[in-house]
Amino acid sequence: MTKLFRRGCCATALATFMAATAIVPAFADTTLKFISWQVDDGGLGEWWKGAIAAFEESHPGVKIEFTKVERGAYSDTMTTLFAGGQPPQIVHLASFEYQTFAENGWLENLGPWLEKDGVDMTGWAGQDKCVWNGDTACVMLSYFGFIMAYNKRILEEAGLAVPTNWEEFLDVARKTTVDLNGDGLVDQYGTGHETKGGAGQYLTEMLSYLLDVGAYWTDKEGKITIDTPQMVEGLTRWKTVVKEGLTPIDMGAGEIRKLFSDGKIALRLDGPWLYGTMVQGAAADETVVAEPPFHPPLGGSSNVIAMPSEIPDEEKQLVWDFIKLVMSPEWQSKYATVGKNTPPSPKADVSGVEADVPHFDLLLKTMNEASAAGVDRIPTGLELQYNEFGKMVQEEVQRMLIEDLDPADVVKTMQQKAEAIQNG
Amino acid sequence: MARRKLLDLARPSRQHLLGYILLAPAVLLVGLIVVYPLLMSIDLSLQNVKLPRPGQHAPYTVANYSKLFSSQEFWMACWVTLKLVVTVTIGSLIVGVGSALLVNNRFRGRTLARLAIALPWAVPEIIAVVIFARIFDTSFGLLGWLFIKLGLTDRMIAWVSTPGPAFWAVTMTMIWKGFPFVSIMTLAGLQSIPSDYYAAARVDGANAIQRFRWITLPLLMPVLGVTLVLVVLWVFRDFSIIKTLTEGGPLKATQTLSIMTYDQAFGFFNFGYASAVGVVTLVICIVASLLMLGRGSKAMY
Repeated sequence: MTKLFRRGCCATALATFMAATAIVPAFADTTLKFISWQVDDGGLGEWWKGAIAAFEESHPGVKIEFTKVERGAYSDTMTTLFAGGQPPQIVHLASFEYQTFAENGWLENLGPWLEKDGVDMTGWAGQDKCVWNGDTACVMLSYFGFIMAYNKRILEEAGLAVPTNWEEFLDVARKTTVDLNGDGLVDQYGTGHETKGGAGQYLTEMLSYLLDVGAYWTDKEGKITIDTPQMVEGLTRWKTVVKEGLTPIDMGAGEIRKLFSDGKIALRLDGPWLYGTMVQGAAADETVVAEPPFHPPLGGSSNVIAMPSEIPDEEKQLVWDFIKLVMSPEWQSKYATVGKNTPPSPKADVSGVEADVPHFDLLLKTMNEASAAGVDRIPTGLELQYNEFGKMVQEEVQRMLIEDLDPADVVKTMQQKAEAIQNG
Repeated sequence: MARRKLLDLARPSRQHLLGYILLAPAVLLVGLIVVYPLLMSIDLSLQNVKLPRPGQHAPYTVANYSKLFSSQEFWMACWVTLKLVVTVTIGSLIVGVGSALLVNNRFRGRTLARLAIALPWAVPEIIAVVIFARIFDTSFGLLGWLFIKLGLTDRMIAWVSTPGPAFWAVTMTMIWKGFPFVSIMTLAGLQSIPSDYYAAARVDGANAIQRFRWITLPLLMPVLGVTLVLVVLWVFRDFSIIKTLTEGGPLKATQTLSIMTYDQAFGFFNFGYASAVGVVTLVICIVASLLMLGRGSKAMY
C-alpha cells in the first residue's frame, strides 16, 4: 500500500512539474505570427524588421514571427490559413484583396480600437479605401504615385531627351530597343513591363497608358466603362509597346526591375519601391528618377495591415499595439527614410528624407497628383471580383496580341464580360 | 475463460480480427486525410458558396454542376487535360523505356548513366520548372537562342505567351520530369526477364527487334501496365509544373482541370464551384483507372 502511495505521489509530482513547465512559457512567451511578401524587400523589409524589434523591446516576452510568403502564392496561403481557422495574428494584405476577407467577416472592425485610443485618421492617405460595409477593416499602409526611372547613359548615347509625353516615350523606347552585339537578339529594351504573373499586376502595367488617355475600367459609381474610344486608344498603345517588342515579355516584375537596374532597359514606370532595387543594380550610377510622362500618374493604395476577428482578446490587444506602433509619427517617418516610400500619415516628419531618397519630393508630388485625380488600381464596383475581372482583361488583351485583333472589337468583348462578372 | 478465448487472435477463426486491428490505424488515417476532405468537397460542391465558414451551411443545390457542364471553359479544360495526359504519357513511355533498354546493356559508365537517368526524378519539381522557365524564356531563353543559331527561326519564340508553344513547353517539362520513373520501373522489369529466353531466341535466329517484340515487351507488360496508370494519374493531378510555367495560359491553352480548380478556389474564391470541378475530376480519374485496371486489361498483368 505504501509502495502504491509513493508511486502515486511521484506520478502526481511528475505530472504537476510537467504541466507547470509546459504552461509557464505559454504565458511568458507569446508569439504573434506575421506573414508578409515584403520580408526581403530592400527598404520595406528593413522597416518591418525595425518595427518588430521596437515592438519586442517594448513588449518583453512577446515575439513576432516574421515569415515570407511569395506574392504569387500569398492570397491562397492567407485564404487557407483563415479558412482553416489559423490566421496569422498580424494580417498584411494587398489593398485589392482584403475586401474578400472583410466581406467574409474575417477581419476585426478597427473603428472601436481607433476610437478607444483617440487615433485621428484625418488626412491619412487612402484610408477611405479601408472602409468596407461601413467598418474600418484595415489601416492603409501605403498610398503611392508612380514615377519614371530612366537610364541616362542609354539616353545620352542615343542623343535622346527624357520623354514627357506618350509620343516622346514611344520614340525613346523605339530608338533604345537595340541589338547591341549584332547576334540577331535584342539585348537592350526601350522599356520594361511585367507580362508574366498575376492578372492584377498585368493590369497595373497597362494602366499608365490607359489613364493618360482618360480611360478606366469603371466610373465612380461602379458602372463598367470599358467600351469607350479612350480605352481603344489606351489598348492600342499597349499593343504597340508589346507587339513592337519594346519590352521583354514573359518576365516577372522582379526580373524587369533587375534588368533596368543593370542597365538593360532605358525607361521603367514603377512605384516608389523601384528605388531599393535601383541603388543595388550594376547601373546604379546611370539610373535616374523623373516625372512620369503620363498624366495623371498611376497611383493608389498598395497594402494594408489588419487584425483577424477570431483571435483571443489578449492577442488582439498586442496586435493593436503593433498596428499603433507602425502608425506612429516616428515609424511613419521611418517609412520614408528606411522604407523609401511615401508614408500615408500626414503627421510623418519627412524633412531630410531627400538625403536618403533624392527624389522624395517627386514621390510626394505624384502621390498627391494620383490622389487628387482619384486614381486607384482597384476599380470601384469590382472590388470583390477583382481577380476574376483582372484575369478576364488579361486574357482578352493576350488574345488581342496573339490574334492581332482590333482594340475597338476587344473593348466590346471586355465590356460584356466585365458586366457579366459584375452581375455574378 | 470465455474472454480469453475471444482475444485469442492466434486461433484460425479469429485471425481476421488481427488483420482488422493491424489495418485500423491506416484506415483511420486515410479516413482522416482523404475521405473526410473528400466528403467535405462533395458537400461543398452542392452549395452555392464563395468562401466556406465553419458552422455555416448553405442550402443544397446542383447549380454548380449545371454551371460547370454548360461552361465552355470546363470542356476546354477537359480537352487540354486529355491532350496533356496522352502526349506526356506516350512521351514518357517512349523515352523511359528507350533509356531503360539502353542502360540495361553492359557498357563502361553504365552506373553513371543510370544515375543520370534517375536524376530528373530526384530534382524537386519546382526547381526543375524554374530551370525550364529559364530555358523557355522568350527574351533571353536558351532554347530560343539555340533555334536561331540552328537556323530554325529568325526570332525568339514566345514559348509561354503563345498557345501552341506553351502547350509543348509544358509537355516537354513534364516528360523530362516523368520519364525517369518509367525508366526505373522498366529497368526493374528488364532485370527480372531470364537471359535464357534471349539466348534461345538468338539460337532461333530472332533479331533485336523480334526479341524486343516477342520477349521483352510481353514480359514487361505487367510493369508497364502499373506504370502507365501511375503516370496517367500523375499527369492528371499535376499542378505545380503548369502553375509555375504558364499559370494555365495563354488563353487557357494549358489550363487543366487541376489548374481550373485552383483558380476558381483561390483566385476567384468560388469554393463551391471549385469543389464541383474537383469532384468531377475525381470521377474522371476513377473511371480512367477502372478502365486501365479493369477486366479488359487483365491480359497485361
